[in-house]
Amino acid sequence: MENNKGLKSFLIRMLFNSKMASSGLISNVLRTSLTVLGITIGVASVVSLMGIGEGARIAVVEQFESLGQNVIVLKANSGVYSFQADEYKEIMERVDAIKSATPVTNSKEYVRWRRTRGDIEVLGVNSQYPEIKDHQLQAGNFFTTLHVDTRSPVCVLGYNVAVSLLNGRSPVGYTITIDDLNFTIVGVLKKKGDGKAENIDNKIVVPYTTAMRLNDIRTVDEIWGKALDEKDTSLAIVQLSRIYSRKIQGTPVNTTNPDDGGEMPPEEMKIPDMPMPEPPLETPPNDIFTSGEDVITITSLNQLVDEANDANRIMTLLLGGIAAVSLLVGGLGIMNIMLVAVSERTGEIGVRRALGAKKTDLLFQFMLEAFYVSIIGCILGVFVGIWLINIFKSNGFAAVISIEAVRIATVVALTSGLLFGVYPAYMASNLSPVEALRRQ
Amino acid sequence: MSVIVMKDISKEYRIGQIRLNALKNINLEIINGEFISIMGPSGSGKSTLLNVIGCLDKSSSGTYFLDGNSVETMNDNQLSEIRNRFIGFVFQSFNLLGELNALRNVEIPLIYRGIRGKIRREMSEQALEKVGLKERMKHLPSQLSGGQQQRVAIARALVGNPSVILADEPTGALDSTTGNNIMDLFTQLNEDLNMTIVQVTHEESIAAYGKRIIRLIDGEINKIDFNGVLEGKK
Ligand SMILES: Nc1ncnc2c1ncn2[C@@H]1O[C@H](COP(=O)(O)OP(=O)(O)OP(=O)(O)O)[C@@H](O)[C@H]1O
Ligand SMILES: [Mg+2]
Repeated sequence: MENNKGLKSFLIRMLFNSKMASSGLISNVLRTSLTVLGITIGVASVVSLMGIGEGARIAVVEQFESLGQNVIVLKANSGVYSFQADEYKEIMERVDAIKSATPVTNSKEYVRWRRTRGDIEVLGVNSQYPEIKDHQLQAGNFFTTLHVDTRSPVCVLGYNVAVSLLNGRSPVGYTITIDDLNFTIVGVLKKKGDGKAENIDNKIVVPYTTAMRLNDIRTVDEIWGKALDEKDTSLAIVQLSRIYSRKIQGTPVNTTNPDDGGEMPPEEMKIPDMPMPEPPLETPPNDIFTSGEDVITITSLNQLVDEANDANRIMTLLLGGIAAVSLLVGGLGIMNIMLVAVSERTGEIGVRRALGAKKTDLLFQFMLEAFYVSIIGCILGVFVGIWLINIFKSNGFAAVISIEAVRIATVVALTSGLLFGVYPAYMASNLSPVEALRRQ
Repeated sequence: MSVIVMKDISKEYRIGQIRLNALKNINLEIINGEFISIMGPSGSGKSTLLNVIGCLDKSSSGTYFLDGNSVETMNDNQLSEIRNRFIGFVFQSFNLLGELNALRNVEIPLIYRGIRGKIRREMSEQALEKVGLKERMKHLPSQLSGGQQQRVAIARALVGNPSVILADEPTGALDSTTGNNIMDLFTQLNEDLNMTIVQVTHEESIAAYGKRIIRLIDGEINKIDFNGVLEGKK
C-alpha cells in the first residue's frame, strides 16, 4: 500500500476536487449559464458604464484643453470696471509669468459675402492671439502688430466660415464686408472641431482696434494672457489678484488660484508697505462667467480642467458603483445556486466523506465551483462590456475602454464569487457524514 | 488478531426532551477474516452500529478500537483518514458518482490517499478484476445494471485494502438472484482474500452467508449465532 504524504498527495486530491467542481457545473448547464449570466451582466455594466463616464471625462478635458493651455482669462464686470485697451501691456510688464496677452472683444456683426449675408460672431484680438490659444493657420497669415496699430480692415476667418465662402478654396486675398466695411481676408485658421475653442471655427477674427472702432467702444471687458507652464499660471494669478485688489481698492476680485497664494511672487515681496487685501478666496472660484458682485474674475483654464476632471471622475465612480450593485446581485445568484447544489449533492458529500474526503476537500470543491462561475462570468462580462462600448462609440458617444473599470469589475466579481461561495461551501464541508448519507 | 474491539458502546439520540438509546452497552469483538451479519427489526440500531464501526458516527460512551486505534480521541481529519485507510463501505443504493466511469469511481479512495495516477489505475483495475467487471471499467454507472453497480461499489470498497468491509443492506436494492451473486462474491472475498466483512441485513437467507449472526433488539445484542461452520453455502 502506498501513501504519499505532503505536497504531491495534496495536489492529487485538489486536482480531483477541481474536476469535481467543474463536472458539478457541467452537470447542469442551463442553471450554470444563468448564474454566469448574472455575473456577466454585472461586469458588463460596470465596464460599459464606467467606460461612458470615462469617455465623458476625456471629452470634457479635451474640450477645455482646446481652449488653450495655461491661459488666464481676466473678465471685468462691465457695469463696474472695464479694461483700458492697452491695459494688457501693463499686465505683461508687471507680471513676469505672463509672456503674452491680448485684449478681447466679442460682437455679432452683419457680414456680407457676394450675395449671401448674415450675422457672424467677430472676435477682436491682437497679433499674439494665435500663440495664446495655440492656433495654427490653414492658409495665409495672421494679422500683424502693424495691422493692429493702424486699425487695418483685415480679418482672419475661422475654418468653417472660410470653407463656406468658396466651396473649400482658400479665400485669402478676397474681400468680405463686415458692418458695411470692406475687410481683406489675410488668413484662415486651422480647424479646431465642433464646440472646441469657443467655437472659433465659426467666427471671424479682426484686430481689436478695428473691432473697437467698429463698435465705437473705448474699453474692453476681457483680457487673455498666457503663462509658460502650470506653475507660472498659478503664480500669475496670485500676482494679478494682488494688482487688481489694489487697483480696485476693496472691491472684490474673484480669482481661481490653485495654490491659494502659497507661493509669493518674489517681486511682490519687495514691496514692504503693500496693503494686503487678501482676495476673497471663499467665493467659489470656478466660474469664469461670474456676474454680480465680482468686479473682475481671474480664471485659469488649467484649474477648470482639473475641476471638471475631478467632477467627472466622481461621476464615473458613481456609475461604476451603481453597476457594482448589479454585480452584488449576481453574487447572490451564485450563493443561491451553490446552496441548491450543496443540498442536491448531500448524498454525494456523504459518500465522499465515507471514502476519506476531508472537510477541506469539500470546502475547496464548492468554493472553486463558485469561483469558476464568477471567473467565467467576469471574462464574458469584460468582452460584452467592450462590445457595448464599441457600439456606443459607433453611435457617436464618447466612451472608452477603461482599464480601471475592468480592474474594478474583475476584483468585485471575483471577490463576490468567493464571498458568496464561502457559506455554501462551509455548509457542505460541515455536514456530518452520517447526516449527509441519511438525507440522500 | 482483533480488527474491532467495542466495550460498553452506547449511542444516545436526543430529540427535544426525549432521549433515545439507539445502542445500549454493546460489547463486540470482531476478528480478522470474519464474515459477520447483523440482523434485527427495523429501528433496532443496525445502521447505527455499523456507522459507529465505520467511524461515520461517534458513540456517546464506551471505548472502541479499530485495528488498534482508539477512535474516540480522533478529530474529524483523522477520522477521514481512518475511514479511508481501514474501512471499505458498501451501500444499499450503491452510491457511485454518476459523472465518473467505473474505473474512476473505484479510484476515489486512492485519490484521497494521495496515490499517483498510474499505480492508482493498476490497483483499481485489479479490484475490478476481482469483482469480474474489468471489461466494463469505462462504463458510467448509468450504463450498468444494479448488480454490476454494486460490484463496482465493492471494488471501490476493497481497492484500498481496508481492514474491514462494512455493508449496510448491500442486497436491499437487488432482486434475490443478483443479491445471492453479491453474497457469493462476499464469500469469495472473505475466503480467498481473508477479507473481514460486516454486513447488515434483515433477510435470513442473506444473513446466512455470514459465519456469525449478531441479532440486535432495541439497541442491544440479543443473540449471536454461529452458522458458518455448520451450514454449507449454496
Ligand atoms: N439522527 C437521528 N436522530 C434521532 N434518532 C435517530 C437518528 N438516527 C437514528 N435514530 C433512531 O435510532 C434508532 C436506530 O436507528 P437505525 O437507523 O440504526 O435502525 P436500523 O436498525 O438500521 O433500522 P432499519 O432496518 O429500518 O434500517 C431508531 O429508532 C432511529 O429512529
Ligand atoms: Mg438501517
